[in-house]
Amino acid sequence: MSAILALAVKDLRLLIRVKSGLFFAFAWPLVIAILFGTVFSGSGGGGSHALAVALADEDQSAGSKEFAALVAKSPDFQVRPANRAEAIGLVRKRQQAAALILTKGFGEASQQMFHGTPPKVEVWIDPSRQSEGAMIQGLLFKLTMEGVQKKMSDPGAMRAGIRKSLEDVDRSTAPPDQRASLSRFLRSLDTTFGNMPAASTAGGGRGARWEPLSIEQHDVAIQREGPRNAFEITFPQGMLWGVMGCAMAFAVGFVSERTHGTLFRLQMAPIGRFQLLAGKALACTVACLTIEATLVTVGRLGFHVVPHSWPLLALAGVSTVAAFVGVMMLIAGLGKTEQAAAGVGWAVMMPLALFGGGMMPLAFMPRWTAQAGAISPVRWGILAFEGALWRGFSFQEMLLPCAILLATGAVCFAIGTRTLRLT
Amino acid sequence: MPDATFFSLRQVTKRYGALTAVDGLTLQVERGEIFGLLGPNGAGKTTLIHCAIGLLEPDGGQVLVAGGNPREPQVRARMGIAPQVLSLYELLSAEENLAFFGKLYGMEGARLKQRVTASLEFVGLESRRRDPVKNYSGGMMRRLNLAAALLHDPEILLLDEPTVGVDPQSRNSIFDNILALKREGRTVIYTTHYMEEAERLCDRVGIVDHGRLLALDTVEGLLRSQGGLPRLVVETGGKEVEVFSADPLSELNRMAEAAPIDRFRLEQPTLEQVFLNLTGRTLRD
Repeated sequence: MSAILALAVKDLRLLIRVKSGLFFAFAWPLVIAILFGTVFSGSGGGGSHALAVALADEDQSAGSKEFAALVAKSPDFQVRPANRAEAIGLVRKRQQAAALILTKGFGEASQQMFHGTPPKVEVWIDPSRQSEGAMIQGLLFKLTMEGVQKKMSDPGAMRAGIRKSLEDVDRSTAPPDQRASLSRFLRSLDTTFGNMPAASTAGGGRGARWEPLSIEQHDVAIQREGPRNAFEITFPQGMLWGVMGCAMAFAVGFVSERTHGTLFRLQMAPIGRFQLLAGKALACTVACLTIEATLVTVGRLGFHVVPHSWPLLALAGVSTVAAFVGVMMLIAGLGKTEQAAAGVGWAVMMPLALFGGGMMPLAFMPRWTAQAGAISPVRWGILAFEGALWRGFSFQEMLLPCAILLATGAVCFAIGTRTLRLT
Repeated sequence: MPDATFFSLRQVTKRYGALTAVDGLTLQVERGEIFGLLGPNGAGKTTLIHCAIGLLEPDGGQVLVAGGNPREPQVRARMGIAPQVLSLYELLSAEENLAFFGKLYGMEGARLKQRVTASLEFVGLESRRRDPVKNYSGGMMRRLNLAAALLHDPEILLLDEPTVGVDPQSRNSIFDNILALKREGRTVIYTTHYMEEAERLCDRVGIVDHGRLLALDTVEGLLRSQGGLPRLVVETGGKEVEVFSADPLSELNRMAEAAPIDRFRLEQPTLEQVFLNLTGRTLRD
């Protein structure tokens, strides 16, 4: 056993001494997982969801300024003040989602109640972001209604507006019967607000406030049917890339021992072939498990990659490593030189990764390629990791991918050790 | 009384397809002697060594080391080898290389440390023990290769062309090491195609070509039996005269009486001459 440990420690020491190898074994899978996770997340993994808009106030009245302030204070918007030309230019350059322009007469129109032209906001939007345009319209209506609600909750302000509207109606050129009907309605409204005790509303009493619609939002613990975030897809991919890279490094290293003559000295030592191969396998296993543990730790601490079952995650990790230790031995057996081993190795690994979902999630792949991936241990490795992370696999459900991985490892190891030339 | 024969090959044959690399070769090496295997490149020396250490199984014949089969681990543990191809991890230091090889031989703790230090001191690399091997010169690597062979204190050492590609200083250092090993009573089998090395180091020499043992004797015995007569070269009257004679002094006197001698030199037979006489070609052909 001490000879096996000595062989494993020596191989790990050699792995650590080659800085480029160390980077590609440990750092590169992490870079892949984080980079692709960020790309698939779209928003850099969190942050503000506010819509970036440019706002131009062409009216500069008290009413328009009040509305502009409402928009600026809203958590739904991230406002950049501008003039009309600047605001539209920013949208054209895709620096803002939309340009909002409060046109001349906005403040005057916003004082009118139940008659006249409504206040006007122009919304300029990138044609490719129509869905955000609809969202902006909804949010502007919401803000307008908040202004109306505020006004109706203040009888003094309401009555001032009603009196101004009465004067406007008296001066208007509308038909006499329409003017009379509107005047009656406004006076009746004035009387109603005049009878309201000011204290009940000004003091913020909830009972007197009027709202067009009250919405209460509650979080529901829903059954998960997918990953919480893109990192739960990309970290299993990163782990597979790390394990593949490590297996390749050890396969080429094994061949290198033969071509550089060190294997000769190992064979001269009083150890058997089994100990020699076991030492190699142990070193590769330790390195692969370390890579997996590194990715799991970084994913857990920094990217909300939380396994639903730690024991099943360990099972997935060990099964995947077993498969690729076998693949390592097979490649070492097939390659007669380092170049040949690297060539054969990547010629095998790349299709396995491509069809197994190592490059692109299986869900995004054409059906036939996803089905072809059944022959790839990469696919079963990713499935096992996803099963333990977010698919919510039971132990019984984990058995199939893990059994396939273990069988793959055993078959490849057996073929590899039979074809491996030690001299 | 222990058997003086420590290493023996009996009718050993090894073939690679149509090529017979070792052809029914028989020899014995006695405990404590330095035995040289002399032959040109491709003569079958390395194949013979690989059969001797149990790395290759002969197609015919028998190899015995200390009475056992070298394919058995406990027999191999009594042997040390410095292969022709440097068998070292260049990214590790000398100390790390030796410590690793020592562990494969079951050494650990204080014993391992002591053997690592002793081996490095023996080859003069103690002061560079922590340097990565990749920073060593070719000669230093050869010396470390020898240290790795000595680490587990073997009774018999097989040195396969141990001076290939080394500078004169390192070559002399290796020669000193080998002679020191002989003084310690170790058995050394030394393959080379440099006749000077065989002449300087070896008690007995076997001359090998095409996988066959052409001659085996002490260096003096080979020179006497296969080297031919000493060569006397005399310059007289502007001409160079060459004479082969068992008594060159008498021959020189006879020539001096006949005519004045401007210059002369006497060339003793060498192993090169022995090889030429045996095969009709030189060692470096």
